[in-house]
Amino acid sequence: MKRALALAVPLLVFALLPLGRLVFTGLGHLDAIVTPDAMRALRGTLLTSTGAAAFAFFLGLPLAVLLVRTDLPGRRALRAVFTLPSAVPPFIFGMGWVALANPKAGLLNLALGAGTFDIYGTVGIAFVLGACGLPLVVLAASAALERVDASLEEAARICGAGPLRTLAQVSVPLALPAALSGAALVFLFSASAFGVPYLLGVTASPPTSTLTTHVYALVLMGSGGIASAGAISVLLLALASAVLLASRLVKSAPLASGKGIRLRPLALGALRWPLGVFAFWLALALVALPLAAVFLTSLEPSFGRLEQLSLQHWQRLFQTPRVGWAALRSLGLSLAAAALVTAIGLAYALGRMRLGRAGRALELVASLPYAVPGTVLGMALLLSFSVDWRVVVGERIAFVLALANTLWLVLIAYVARHLAFGTRAATDGLTQADPSLTEAARVSGAGPWRALLDATLPQLKAPLTAAFTLTFLTCATELTLSVLLVPAGSDLLGTVLFELMSYADPAAASVLAGAFVLVVLAVQGGRSLIRTA
Amino acid sequence: MGGVTLTSLRKSYGTTPVVKDLSLTIASGEFVALLGPSGCGKTTTLRMVAGLETPDAGQISIDGRDVTTLPPEARGLGMVFQSYAVWPHRTVAENVEYPLKLKGLGRADREAKVKEALGWVRLESLAARRPDALSGGQLQRVALARALVANPKVLLLDEPLSNLDVQLREELRAEIAALRARLRPTMIYVTHDQGEALALADRVAVMNGGVLEQVAAPQVLYGEPATPFVARFVGGANVVDAISEGSSVRIGDAAISCDVPLPMGRGQLVVRPEDVALEPGAGPLVTARLFLGGATEYHLAIGLKAVGSAHAGLAVGQPVRVTLRRARWFPL
Repeated sequence: MKRALALAVPLLVFALLPLGRLVFTGLGHLDAIVTPDAMRALRGTLLTSTGAAAFAFFLGLPLAVLLVRTDLPGRRALRAVFTLPSAVPPFIFGMGWVALANPKAGLLNLALGAGTFDIYGTVGIAFVLGACGLPLVVLAASAALERVDASLEEAARICGAGPLRTLAQVSVPLALPAALSGAALVFLFSASAFGVPYLLGVTASPPTSTLTTHVYALVLMGSGGIASAGAISVLLLALASAVLLASRLVKSAPLASGKGIRLRPLALGALRWPLGVFAFWLALALVALPLAAVFLTSLEPSFGRLEQLSLQHWQRLFQTPRVGWAALRSLGLSLAAAALVTAIGLAYALGRMRLGRAGRALELVASLPYAVPGTVLGMALLLSFSVDWRVVVGERIAFVLALANTLWLVLIAYVARHLAFGTRAATDGLTQADPSLTEAARVSGAGPWRALLDATLPQLKAPLTAAFTLTFLTCATELTLSVLLVPAGSDLLGTVLFELMSYADPAAASVLAGAFVLVVLAVQGGRSLIRTA
Repeated sequence: MGGVTLTSLRKSYGTTPVVKDLSLTIASGEFVALLGPSGCGKTTTLRMVAGLETPDAGQISIDGRDVTTLPPEARGLGMVFQSYAVWPHRTVAENVEYPLKLKGLGRADREAKVKEALGWVRLESLAARRPDALSGGQLQRVALARALVANPKVLLLDEPLSNLDVQLREELRAEIAALRARLRPTMIYVTHDQGEALALADRVAVMNGGVLEQVAAPQVLYGEPATPFVARFVGGANVVDAISEGSSVRIGDAAISCDVPLPMGRGQLVVRPEDVALEPGAGPLVTARLFLGGATEYHLAIGLKAVGSAHAGLAVGQPVRVTLRRARWFPL
């Protein structure tokens, strides 16, 4: 029980209490919600998030069916490409689309005539967020489809249904609940997004404002805006909770009925190549094109000019001390956050068995900071720690918790936000691990810690590495929390990227983004190499 | 109603041949069981008839029509799968209705036929249920009704009882026999359970290693196995290498008397456990004794098994005199 408390105290202090404080403050300033600006922001969030969720759903569900259940040519490679956006920050995709579809100087508009596409505004935001959220639908629907016994489809064929009718009347309905909950996640992801709506909304005409960008604008106003920003955050929190609850109501049918589950791809026949070519072009347009545009921008002498490509921006940026320091700070913070998330997740998973009901409650609290939008968590921490906490024991001040305007608060935010990665990975890994291996080590004479080290941990290597990598990569260019919490003068990679892109220097921003995409590709490639080896 | 003719079917997965030059003619209304151990090619053969696998060579015709290149939906079959394959997103009635819908039947027609089919398998009361509320036996009944509702010429069954427990298996076996008597489709039934095959089928086709070992009526298969494999797989017979000396055979260094004359020379002796008589005396040793309830099984050092109730009192380690009451001989 003591250990449970040891885990619970920091969670309460750093997650639950600030969120409670935020809700309390927000409810005290409800008048801030009914302003025309706030209503416009709510409308913007609803429109862009619904659009993104619909785009991801109507594209992702048929795509998952094609990739998992049919003999589409190159489906394994296509699947990797379509799920890549989950590893690259949406902001970078937004940059790519700016380079492609800026109404004046975008590459697509240069090729097709100025003004063909305009990525700025509500539709553009919904499109980019929908493309970035596509993996959520594809992965959820694919996971459901992989548990469908092939005989369910074969039975339809025997009954007289052709291949397309079988896909439409058997495969799609079976994947529908999973795809719907994936689409709900895309809605949440889009409502929580900050970078893309800021990049594509603020300079649009008329400007598209969302709840997250409105909160940021209010915070920039200084102390007068903070309480209003808190109230708007509570509105965002309420919206997110409602969607999350609604998505829980979608009940899915149990899929694997029999014992032997066989995956036998359905022959598409004459449609195989046309559909394959279509999926290939789609992957190219949604994933490869914007990333390529980012690289191209980093090589152009000035925005939208394709002659005389050179590495001058790369040289210039890597000689800028400010960028170097930001990179170092981000590296340190992300490594620390990843290590803490993994360690706490492991400790939690190991202790969970002994905690019983308290353990489950703890897991819920631990997943809370990830379930709420990043802006909400950031505002909660900002509100709670903007003043120093003096812990008084007797007559004396025992210690002062002065976190305001320090990177420590950013680290706390990163860890709290991604704690769910660690707890999930470690609990899942431990549930799948074979307890008799650890028991065998104990019987062989190893103490509990030794057995943990020698027999349990090696089985958890894959999930823990995944949690560490995911946390590290997400934190390395984290934007939503960072713009709210980073103290002046201590830039991080995410905030530098945001500043360069939003105000001054898209070429320099593209260099940073391009470098990050290279790191992601290297890490992903390395991991898949390790997996196949 | 339609017969099924398979001519020189071949199928390989990669470089592994699974079905090798298989030919079989099934008469209209006949019930043929494809029997064999796992991996013998019986399921692949059935799936080729269904159109779910394409043969590398050979021809399949149903009702005199060549269907080798037709997709499954164009063959007009019914099929029951080992895993039930009842669609979880449709109710029981909607599952059974599906083939009728694809045939373009009107609503009233469909409702009447669904009701009739659910009556065959005694599931009328569960028509509106979702499959996740049904037991394995009920699911397989839904699958049977769905396979039969459109009155197919040919009904294919792929190990339909393997996922059920023993009692349900016997119940559903009786139900399949009753349905067959009522509707008389041509039936091809894949199983690895010889009891099922012998009890249900008009003829049993025993498969091993991708070829047919013997196709015959159950009684013939049991009484006159064409190969040692059939004798072992279908009757559980002893199959041992031996040298025949007319009225006795040598197995290893033991000489055993035989009540029926056998041709001279080297060969494989096939003898059922119940045809091996034991009495105390000089001969091979008893290595194990297993009480089976109605009878007792004895294992002998020469690799023979004997079953009987008359041998009571023989102990492990005791030498016994062996007499074969009946035996079959396959010369090498």
